[in-house]
This record gives sequence, C-alpha cells and structure tokens, in this order.
Amino acid sequence: MVVPLISIILLCPLAAFAFFGLLSLTGRNYSRQDLVSTAAMLIAAICSFLLLPQITSHPEPISIPWIEIDQIKLSMGFYFDSVTAVMLLVVTIVSSLVHIFSIGYMHGDPRYPRFFAFLSLFSFSMLFLVVSDNLLGIYIGWELVGLCSYLLIGFWFEKDSAADACKKAFLTTRVGDVGMFVGMMMLFTKFHTFALYGDGGIFAAVANLGSGDIVWLSIAGVLIFCGAIGKSAQVPLHTWLPDAMEGPTPVSALIHAATMVAAGVYLTARMFPILTPDSSLTIAYVGGITAIVAATIAIVRFDIKRVLAYSTISQLGYMMLGIGAGSYVAGLFHLTTHAFFKALLFLGSGSVIHALAVHNGSHGDEHDHESEHHDADHGDTEHHDDAGFDSHGIPAEQDMRHMGGLRKKMPITFLTMLIATLSISGVPFVFSGFWSKDAILAGVLDRAMAWDSVHYYILFIIALGAAGITAFYMFRLIFMTFFGKPRNREMYDHAHESPGSMAIPLIILAVLSFPIVNTWSFNPWSFDKHVKAPKQPHVHAPAHASEERPVLYALAGASNAHAAEDAGHGAHDAAHDHHAHSPAHTIAMVLSIIVASFGILLSYLFYHRKVFSAEGAASRLRPLYNLCWGKYYFDEFYNGVIVALSVAWAGFLRVFDLRVIDGIVNLVGFITRAVVAAFTGWFDNKFVDGLVNWVAQITWSVGGRIRRIQTGAIQNYLLIVLGGVVLLILIFRRYL
Amino acid sequence: MTLQHYLVISAILFTLGVFAVLTRRNAISILMGIELILNSCNLNFAAFSRFMTPAQDINGQIIAIFGIVLAAAEAAVFLAIILAIYREFGTIQPDQTDTLKG
Repeated sequence: MVVPLISIILLCPLAAFAFFGLLSLTGRNYSRQDLVSTAAMLIAAICSFLLLPQITSHPEPISIPWIEIDQIKLSMGFYFDSVTAVMLLVVTIVSSLVHIFSIGYMHGDPRYPRFFAFLSLFSFSMLFLVVSDNLLGIYIGWELVGLCSYLLIGFWFEKDSAADACKKAFLTTRVGDVGMFVGMMMLFTKFHTFALYGDGGIFAAVANLGSGDIVWLSIAGVLIFCGAIGKSAQVPLHTWLPDAMEGPTPVSALIHAATMVAAGVYLTARMFPILTPDSSLTIAYVGGITAIVAATIAIVRFDIKRVLAYSTISQLGYMMLGIGAGSYVAGLFHLTTHAFFKALLFLGSGSVIHALAVHNGSHGDEHDHESEHHDADHGDTEHHDDAGFDSHGIPAEQDMRHMGGLRKKMPITFLTMLIATLSISGVPFVFSGFWSKDAILAGVLDRAMAWDSVHYYILFIIALGAAGITAFYMFRLIFMTFFGKPRNREMYDHAHESPGSMAIPLIILAVLSFPIVNTWSFNPWSFDKHVKAPKQPHVHAPAHASEERPVLYALAGASNAHAAEDAGHGAHDAAHDHHAHSPAHTIAMVLSIIVASFGILLSYLFYHRKVFSAEGAASRLRPLYNLCWGKYYFDEFYNGVIVALSVAWAGFLRVFDLRVIDGIVNLVGFITRAVVAAFTGWFDNKFVDGLVNWVAQITWSVGGRIRRIQTGAIQNYLLIVLGGVVLLILIFRRYL
Repeated sequence: MTLQHYLVISAILFTLGVFAVLTRRNAISILMGIELILNSCNLNFAAFSRFMTPAQDINGQIIAIFGIVLAAAEAAVFLAIILAIYREFGTIQPDQTDTLKG
C-alpha cells in the first residue's frame, strides 16, 4: 500500500502543474486552475492520512536502479518511516489550507491560474524531497523547491523589490547548496553510493567505520549542513528570508514559514546518524546564534510580515539547536508544531493585510497597491506619511504602526492569531509550541548536564533568552495590531473580516496548534513514541562526563541508578530513553515558563498599558537598538564587502580581459598576420608556385618541340614506321 | 621456276605496294598499294608452302586464301572509312586530313 499511496501523493500535484503547463503550451489558461490544484492537494492530504497505519518500526527503502555507469550505480526510491509520514502530513495539510486561503486572497490577480500551478509544483517538489531515500533525490527536490521559491517570491515581478528579492533568495541559498553538494560528494567518494538506508547505504557504512579518524566525517556533516544553513535561513545566510516576504502572503506562509525552510531542518534530521560531536556542536551553535540574533531583530520591526519572517528564522534556529544537541525528536516535533502555528500567523497577517489594503475596491488588488506604494517611496526614503513617522518603505497595510484595535473588526483573525501567538510564545500546557520548545530546551540542558559541556550550557542560556524575546515580540505584534485605539482611521473604517475561504484555513490551523492534534494523543510526549531517533554511531559522551557528576545533576536530585546507567551505556542512549524523566526536563520547563511569562508581561507593560515607553527604552539603549534595527548589518556587510569585492573583482577582470587577454589575442593576431603570414605568403608565391610553374614551363616547352613530329599526315607516319622496320632489321639482322 | 623466282616477284610486288602507299595522294590508290602488299604476302605463303613442305601439306595455300578473304573485308572497311572521311572533310587526300597535326 505504501508505494501506490506515495505515488498518488507525488503525482497529484505534479499532474495539476502539468495540466497548467500543457494548457499554457496552447496559449490558454484554465481560469479554474485553483480548483484543479486544490483538489490535487486535498487528495494528497487524504492519502497522507491513509499512510499513517503503514508506519513500521523497521522500514526498508523501496528503490529502483536509475543510472548505471561502470561502477557508479544510482538508484531512486522512497523511504517511508515515521518522519516521512509526519512531514507528508505537515506539507499536504499546510499546502491544502494555503491553497484554500489563496482562492480568496489571490482572487482577481491577473496571473491567478499561474499562482496555483506554481503552488502545485512546489508541493510536488517538497513531497519528492521528503519521500526520497537517497541524497541525490533529496538534492533534486531541494533544488526544485528553491526554483519554486524563486518563482513565487518574484510572482509580482513588476515590483522591483520582488524581483530583487527572488534573485537574492535564489543566489543566497545557492551559496549553501555548493557546500551541500561538496559534502554529498565527499560521502559519495567514500561510500560510492547516495543511498542512505539499507545494507549498502551511507548510514550502515558510517556505523561500520569504527572509531578511527572521523574528522572528514565532521567536515562532510558540516558541509551538508551548509545547504540547510542556506535553505533554512540560518545565520549567516539568513538575509534572503525577510526579503522573501515580497512574495504573496500565502507563499510566505507555505514556503517561507511552514515547509520549504523546514527542509533544511528535515535534511539535518535525516543526516542525524552521520553527525559527529564536532559537527553537532557546529549545528547547535549556528542554530542557537540564529535563534537569538533573529529574535532580537524581530523586536524592532514594524512590518508585520518582517516580524514573522525573523520569528521564523529564530524558530528554525531552535530546531537546528535541538538536532545539534541530539534532541532529534524535539527538533522534528518543533518543526511540526511550528509549521502549523507559523502558517497560521502568516495567513492571519495576510488576512489583516487583505483587510487593510486601502485601494482594493475588489479583493486581491493589493499588489497593485503595494507596487504603487513602493514606487511612491522609491528614491524618497525620507518620505513621511500622514501618521508622522518614517515609513521606511513599508507598505502601509503591512505597517503595524497603522494598525490597532482590529480585534473588534476581525474577531476570527484575532482569535486564531492569538492562539498561534500563545503557542509560539510557549504558554504552558495547552498550546503545542510550549511542548516542542520545552523539549528542545530540555534536550539542550540534558546534553549539557550529561556531557558537562560548557558549550551546551551557553547554548541553553541563549535558547532561554530567545524564548523570552520570542514571547515579547509576538505579544508586541498582537498588542500593536489588535489592541489599543485605531491609529489610522481610514484604514480601520475600511477593515473587514476576511471571506470564508480565508477564515476557514485559519480556524483549522488554530485547531492544529493544540498539542492533542499534533501528537495524536493527550500525552504531549507521545510524539516520542511515533518518532524514534536513529542511533548516532560516532557521538559519545566525553570521557570526563560520567566520572565527575555534574553539579546541576546533583542539585536536581538525579538518582544514583540513573547516573550509573549513564556511565554504563553512554549518555546518549540514556538521554533519549529517559528524556521525559530527566531532571533537565523539569528545570527547563520551569525556566521556560518563567522567561515566557516575563516576556509577555514586559510586552503587556510596554505596548498595552504603556507603563514603559518603547521609544524611551530605544533611546536609552540606542547602540543596541541601532544594531537590531540595522539587522546586525548583515546586508550592509554583504553589500559592502562581498558584493563590493565581487564588483571590484569583476571590474578588475573586465579591465584584465580588455587589456591583457585582448592584448595577448591581438598581439598573437598581429604576429600571425605580419610575420608568419607574410613569410608563408612569400614562400608560397615564390617557392611552391615557382616549382609548379617551372614544371609547367618545362612540360610546355618540351611539348612545343615534340609536337612538330605529329604532322597529321598518315603517309609520314607510315614512312617512319617503314624506316623503323628497316632499322630494326638492320640492328637485329644477325639473328635473322 | 624455283622458290627464288616467286620471292623476287613477291618482293617487287611488296616494294611497289609500299611505294604506292607512301607516295600516292589519293586514298583509293593507297588502298590499292595495300592490296599489293597483301598479295605479295599471299604469294610468299603459297610459294613457301609449295617448295618447303611436303606436297600433300597445303597449309600455306589455305592461309593465302584466308588472306584474300581478309583483304576483301579490309577493302570494304577501308572504303567505308574513306566514305566517312569524304563526308567529313570533302576530300579523300590523306595529307589534307591533318586534324591530328600537333
């Protein structure tokens, strides 16, 4: 049953895209492409549900040979385990809901059918990535989703900002992909296969490596993680994701929040068995730094979509941190919960933007408005609008400073977004985000304590800080958007609740933000039972960890039996088998509740009660504020250093090309023409032609002499014959 | 009448034939010279056969008869060629048909 169902899941969106593509070849568009694509996605979603009972504890890859050249044998196939099942569900559910939402949101767009065709192509690519059993298949899906991301970010390519953003996204992720490809090739060179699972797969080979020199394996792991850095927008390649918000909001929800950016996390999780302690720590640090950097930037954004974009980056950092800390299950759990509540937040913001867009007499014209607005601001960055503040080029309907009090106008959007915000902020027990985030925090602390590692303690504190900041900026968003007095009366009067096709996905996603739905049971930890972490053959607790019992362990009252077990089996197995019972869990839960409450409280005091002034705090912390407002100057750094160096280098190469290369070519040309050609021409004229003419001359003159004997008179010839005969007789007469 | 008499007559005929072939300006006359040469040969065949081989052996005479037949055929071909030359050049004088002159 697995193969036919997966085939249906893959073929449905592909067929929807092919339908559009083939029709386009005839120069026509089917105006109800939306129904075709949505139906295809719904079928895929149903098939994903039907696949759930097919999960086995020991799945085998199902593959067929693809290319065989000499010793190189490549295969293509499916691998269906619990992780695949979860990812299939997440992708198909979110994609279906985004399709439905887009029917309302994109209504009236001139390229409406194309939008749905691209969504279908994206869904196919993402599903292909998820079900592939080998690195090459993953890479193919990986590049295809990158392409779809490019197409959809630049969907409104009339806007310069969108056109720039899609190029930036494509090129930035490509930087990481180069690293990923090198890493893949390192593994291929070593193991002669791209297959991950099965007896001949990479994981089996890695497990049999022994404990020799595994530095190269660390490097390969980090290089493959480079792909994830690009795709999942981790520091330092995160700058494309906020710009990607130039795309239509449903795209932001589907691709740049819920699914594609999670592909990096998925890849890292898939490669979990090849990770070594060094590469794990690298991944954890990248994730941790991303989490805190993006969270601090999000505090000071005013564009509602940019806040969510940085929030996405921050949460992706969390997932990476979790996987880097060995909390495979927690990372994927957070991926799942985040996909639902972040898609909800984005669709909610889309609903708000849709409601506020001033000039849209009919729905869905807002991109025209956005482009007008953009053009108006272009070249006039100091432009001040009616509200009396610098718009910084943010379209008015996306600017939270124009919002306020919307909860009365848009109750469904408000309630659903509030649920998602409570979830992402880590409000305890009821909301899914709390459980998954807490699982990651607990995982990091658990490893820190089990390994007695300073690194992981630092990362735990970073993650805790990021959790508090997340709660703060998410409630800032809610307070600025939905509470208080309307700041822009014209927009407020215009605002309305979104139509049913947009509201229903919001409600469904809100339901999915509760842990009961996410984990298919009332016990949040049952995610553990569905998803099992694979073994990491090269990750062991450092030798000193089991000898000196960490202080925190003792404080938390770890039993002697537990510690002894750690010493016996290595901390790794223990950490997973006793995840829920570990003392780290209690500590992490208490601390995360404290920081989340603190964040929410601060946000309430700042933005609702106005006890403290945000502007005042900003001016007191001016350098810090400027750093966050300037997004840590990553873009400036890239533009100032990398782009400038590239341009300078290109300029140098251009001059080099013009002067040196062209000079050499021209010099060679001159030498050839003036010297070599002149000599050979002279030689040809004099010697070769001379020889030919000389032969002709001799033939001519000899022929001229000899032809006299050809008199043409037959009697002359006869006379000569007679003379010849007489002569012969005279010569040979002695023989007669 | 001995063999020598026949050979002398044959030589005279041959010489007259060659003289005619080399000197006459009319192609018909040249043909007649060639006939003389052929007949001198036939005479030689017959004479050698009569005086040099047994009486019952008449191979030479038979070859002479073949030679006469060949001469007749040759004359027919020669006359046809002369006719063609006359049509082409309007003359049958060999020294005027000198297209092959170098």
